[in-house]
Amino acid sequence: MQTIWKSARHYWRIHLIVALCTAVATGVLAGALIVGDSMRGSLRDITLDRLGRIQHAIIADHFFSPDIVGRKNMEPAILLNGTVVSADTDSRTSKVNIYGISHTFYELWDDINTPDLIKDTNQPFANVVINEALQKELNVEIGDAIFINLPKSAEIHPDFLLGSRDTADNIQSLRVIVSDIIATEKVGRFSLQPHQSLPRNAYISISVLQKALGQANKINALFTADTEPLASTSIHLSIDALGLKTHVDNNHFDLQSEQYLIEPKFSETALTVATRNGIPTIPTLTYLANTISKNINSNEVKNVPYSTILAIPLDTSKLDVPFDKFNTEENRIGDFDVYLNEWTADDLGAKIGDNIEITYFNVNADEEYITRSTTFALKGIVPIEGIAADPNIIPSFPGIHDTAGLSDWDPPFPFDYSQVRDKDEAYWDDYKSAPKAFIPLKTGKNLWRNRFGDLTAIRMASAPGKDIYETKTLFESEFLKFIEPEEIGFQFLALQEDGLSASKGSTDFGMLFSSLSFFIIFAAATLVSTTFAIGVSQRSREIGILRAVGYKLKKIRQRFLFEGIVITFIGSILGSLLAICYAQLMIIGLKTWWLPAIGTPFIDLYVSGWSLLIGISVTLVIVVFFIRHVVKRLGKAPTVALLSGETDFDEVSRVPKYQNIQVKIVRRMSLYLGLVFGLLAGYFLCTEGWVGFIFLLILCSLLYMILRSKWGSLLTDWTTPKLNNHQNGKQNTLKLDVPTLLLAFGIGTIVGFIFTLLVLAYTDSHILDTIDTVFKHPITRLLGSATSILGIGTFLFSKWLGSQRVPKRLSRLRFGLKNTAWQPIHSNSSVMIMSLACCIIVAVGVNRHDALPETEYAFVADASLPIHHNINSPAGRIELGFTDEDSTLLSQSEILSFRVLPGEDVSCLNLYKPKNPQILGVPAEMILTEPWNTLISTQSDQKISAIGDENSLRWILHHDPNDDFIVQDENGDPLNLQLSTIKNSLFQSQLLISDSNFKKSFPSISGYQFFLIKTPTGLREQTRQILESTLEKYGYDVTSAAERLASFRSVENTYISTFQSLGGLGVLIGTVGIALVMLRNIIERRGELATLRSFGFRLKILFRMLLLESYFILTIGMLIGIAAGLAAIIGSQGHLPSFPWISLTITLLLIYVFGIISNCIAISVALRSPLLSTLKSE
Amino acid sequence: MNQKNEKKHQLNVTNVFKDFGDIEVLRNVSFSFNAGQSIAITGPSGSGKSTLLHIIGTLEEPTKGQIKINDTDPFNLSEPELARYRNSVIGFVFQDHHLLPQYSVLENVLIPTLAFKQDPNATQYAEELIIRVGLTDRISHRPSALSGGERQRVAIARALINRPSILLCDEPTGNLDNITSTNIVDLLFEMHKSENNILIVVTHNLELAARFENNLQLVDGVCSDVTMQSDMQS
Repeated sequence: MQTIWKSARHYWRIHLIVALCTAVATGVLAGALIVGDSMRGSLRDITLDRLGRIQHAIIADHFFSPDIVGRKNMEPAILLNGTVVSADTDSRTSKVNIYGISHTFYELWDDINTPDLIKDTNQPFANVVINEALQKELNVEIGDAIFINLPKSAEIHPDFLLGSRDTADNIQSLRVIVSDIIATEKVGRFSLQPHQSLPRNAYISISVLQKALGQANKINALFTADTEPLASTSIHLSIDALGLKTHVDNNHFDLQSEQYLIEPKFSETALTVATRNGIPTIPTLTYLANTISKNINSNEVKNVPYSTILAIPLDTSKLDVPFDKFNTEENRIGDFDVYLNEWTADDLGAKIGDNIEITYFNVNADEEYITRSTTFALKGIVPIEGIAADPNIIPSFPGIHDTAGLSDWDPPFPFDYSQVRDKDEAYWDDYKSAPKAFIPLKTGKNLWRNRFGDLTAIRMASAPGKDIYETKTLFESEFLKFIEPEEIGFQFLALQEDGLSASKGSTDFGMLFSSLSFFIIFAAATLVSTTFAIGVSQRSREIGILRAVGYKLKKIRQRFLFEGIVITFIGSILGSLLAICYAQLMIIGLKTWWLPAIGTPFIDLYVSGWSLLIGISVTLVIVVFFIRHVVKRLGKAPTVALLSGETDFDEVSRVPKYQNIQVKIVRRMSLYLGLVFGLLAGYFLCTEGWVGFIFLLILCSLLYMILRSKWGSLLTDWTTPKLNNHQNGKQNTLKLDVPTLLLAFGIGTIVGFIFTLLVLAYTDSHILDTIDTVFKHPITRLLGSATSILGIGTFLFSKWLGSQRVPKRLSRLRFGLKNTAWQPIHSNSSVMIMSLACCIIVAVGVNRHDALPETEYAFVADASLPIHHNINSPAGRIELGFTDEDSTLLSQSEILSFRVLPGEDVSCLNLYKPKNPQILGVPAEMILTEPWNTLISTQSDQKISAIGDENSLRWILHHDPNDDFIVQDENGDPLNLQLSTIKNSLFQSQLLISDSNFKKSFPSISGYQFFLIKTPTGLREQTRQILESTLEKYGYDVTSAAERLASFRSVENTYISTFQSLGGLGVLIGTVGIALVMLRNIIERRGELATLRSFGFRLKILFRMLLLESYFILTIGMLIGIAAGLAAIIGSQGHLPSFPWISLTITLLLIYVFGIISNCIAISVALRSPLLSTLKSE
Repeated sequence: MNQKNEKKHQLNVTNVFKDFGDIEVLRNVSFSFNAGQSIAITGPSGSGKSTLLHIIGTLEEPTKGQIKINDTDPFNLSEPELARYRNSVIGFVFQDHHLLPQYSVLENVLIPTLAFKQDPNATQYAEELIIRVGLTDRISHRPSALSGGERQRVAIARALINRPSILLCDEPTGNLDNITSTNIVDLLFEMHKSENNILIVVTHNLELAARFENNLQLVDGVCSDVTMQSDMQS
């Protein structure tokens, strides 16, 4: 240990460099890992900050009474998404989280000052508390009035005939006064969505919101700080809670829905339960006819306007109206037979057998009313009694059911009041909405079923042995057993656990920065190796003396290795401090220059001991490996050479001696191994394509290495095994070295490869196509172009180094250049490393897209609240409130509307690890074109086609695109999405399915919230303004499609910039390595340089010559690298794309200048020591 | 090109002292030689032979005393002038040949001509020298392909490329066997005669020293004896 300490002191300069290089490697590696820690730590902090003590939540897509939840300590809330408009400035913010809460909600966060939600008695409007993020966007102050636009919860689905699509019926506007502004932290940051961006929140008293929305005592979310998980058993469902109702009347009861149509899962379950319990049922579907008419003659038609039609099973009579008296064996009821009640038959003058036409509205795919008609044959006329006189068979709906007469109707569909006659009013007075016509249920379903259901009521009679009340109770209890809360839109969320899990991040920034810093780590490790080698070279005499006095080689190696370990350990400890600085620098970078990579400057420094430990350990392993490699070479130099100060261990290395038979065996094995490898390469190229290509690349590398070796002599040596005379001339052995074995292996591989290609191409003609496809692929062309130029460049350089040509005239320039051949291995390695690094730096730039991308669509728009009208149609625009002038202008644009299943952003803009992606329903008109037409195919109800962005799937969702992605449909059942992938589209944040599949899987989601807009260039700004101002209440935000795409690309661009910056930094350090190699060369060449001095060469001349040498290596390396990088780009893209020429040129110039400076320093240092003493020492 | 150097070269060493710290390596050494003379410097190890050679070769400055070559005191020259002076007046041959391995024989011989503006006829003269040292067929070979003796021949040719006034050789045969040594010394004499320069050789080899016209013996840094060959023979 003492000798090591003394050595360390004596050679402190070199040891300091080794320690510093190790520190750099450790600092960069551990620093990169700390960046990952910091990212995770910061995301975790945001999660804890936004959730406070909240552990679990029950969230529903509908309002429910908190009474059905059987857990205590639950905090009720209403969570909605809306738009907020300042009353004074008209500034608008969409996608605002509107929270209806009580004061106790704040208790879920500790140490929070409770803001005032209670209305000031002096002002008529309710209070709202907003967070600073919202306040900044709205630019409002305390006391200002704002309008909050919220989605109204419609009982009847807006997409259904009886549902309203009017803005006023779907959006609730609320004027409130800002009573407090809270910081965007803790409760002010509360959000269910894990995202690093700041949420814009508004908090209103829950009672105010309930009243405004007409949802007295109802909520849609419950939160708890209890750690005990919530489960479906926490909810005690009731018929009411399901939005159903059962009404007993005499000997029957009806099951109906508040949404008019009974959801299919409920109707199917109800019929199953009734059948199992012997309960007689009559399922019915009531629809509204615009007219029931009969042709009197060719010119005259008699109409009964606005009538209810009951579709009912006509082939059975379990209840009061004997339809089956007409339904005899001889005269079966047909699908298009109709019964009219007496009043209607009289009014029309219809007789049995007459054709009766029924006209009605349907809602098409664009949610427009389409009038359709169906002709029936009059099968019978029934009296107005029993079910035929029972208006209760028809569920009530607001605007029709509760009116005094037809003239008072306020239906959502177009209603012609002029059609209503006095006699129609009289019928309404006598029978209310009792049906006037009856058709077979099967026909009714075919005509009027939609995704919301195909029944409006199920009438049930008493079960055997039970009265109707007992039957009802039995039915309800049995029915509820079949319904799980998840099926009706309840979600049980482990918010804290899921949030913390998501905070691990979609991208491992630790690994990302480790990869991006690869060049630096590699360069630093190489520096350690080179510097250590210089140190060892300086001590060659010491090694020689130790050997001469009897030290075992192993012992000397151990001594040097131990010394190296001690130094590098000290270096890595220093590096751990550097790691923190490096990480802090990267974090500053992420908050400033590389901000697009994370979107929001939220990241703070988190130092983990583990990361430091990993950084230190990994660096030590790498560095010690390099040092061991240097130390191992010690034994190669003979002691005499060491004693005479010989420093080039390779030059005097001893050729290992093997028995000729051993050599032959090993050579033959290499040949056979190569043969097998070649066969596999050929086979895989033909069958698997890419795998084979990788094999082929390895093959090319081998060929290159063979060419780089002294191939001529090797080939001669191989074909005619020549005895190699050693200096002593006594022992004759065959050569056994790596190039020889590579040659054997390479020959085997080539033979095997060509043989397989010929055989397979002969047997299968498709194989040539496969090979052709692989070779035409951009990646192949990229790799092929780059490796070709790199290979040819470095090969020619190495050939030049070995050139024996004598020039006609020796100039000082040539003299300097030729000096690079002094250590061809060093020069070759330097050129190769330099060229490879520059090639990567240049070629990586190919993925940069600085220019705004060209897109088919001018705009992308998002609406906070769903829009139910078709903006493309004049009628839809009128409904949405566009003026005629605006409507005319908009008619020149094409707007594609998408349904949206709310979910997480799965693009690279979200740093959290998403689980539930947002899903879009692609409209039918878009599906006609590629690649969207793949969405048409549907495998089954539970497996549908979907499209996702390949990078989002692979890197953000961490999902293999070849596997199905499973989401839950609205019933809570798994829905397998069979994925096709697209790249670089506008849809990087979502998954796409067809609109028809969307409606099937998520029937309750109505309206459109995502839009693509194609508009003529000259009208773009005008179109944007019209859309945003008219649809302001919907929170309609229009963004340039090119900018949206650019925002995705900016992340990629930032990663590339980061790589180019860090890669550039690595190459800068690498140039120090080249300088050190130069230093080492000079040390080893001191004798020659001293000789040159003795010939009258001035130091200045020597300096210039040596500098020229390093210029040359640097220039050749960089030129080859740049050429290879550009070739890679042109090879893959076919042309040179728009490119960050300036930044790249600056990076490369910096590398060049830094390289020259570091070489100048190295040469100056080396020449400073007295060269002439070298001559004397001899 | 093979012109005999007709200049009247003269080397005067007067009262030269050389110290390395407290150690006196040379003490009051004086001698004088003219063109065409050959001198062997002998003496035990550490006697200051190589130091004296380096001082004559202007590689080291004496602590005291004066060196004059052709009436010029090189140590009064500036650094660039000294370099040019050394390049044109002095030729060195070392025990270790110090050939540059990356260059051919011809290139190695030409190297000294690159220190300053190159004579356009340098290559021709280099080829001539190579022929004279007997390496015609090795002209494009690299040093690694040459034997020890051949390498030293190249070193001699290199030393003569600028037609120096003084040829300094530091143990030129130290690494060679007897036969090769004899050949090299023969060559040195041959070149010395043809170039008419002052040949100074440092050697331990008394047999070799005996072949020189003058023999300068150093003992503890003091020039104990300067013997003319004729005196020795008598």
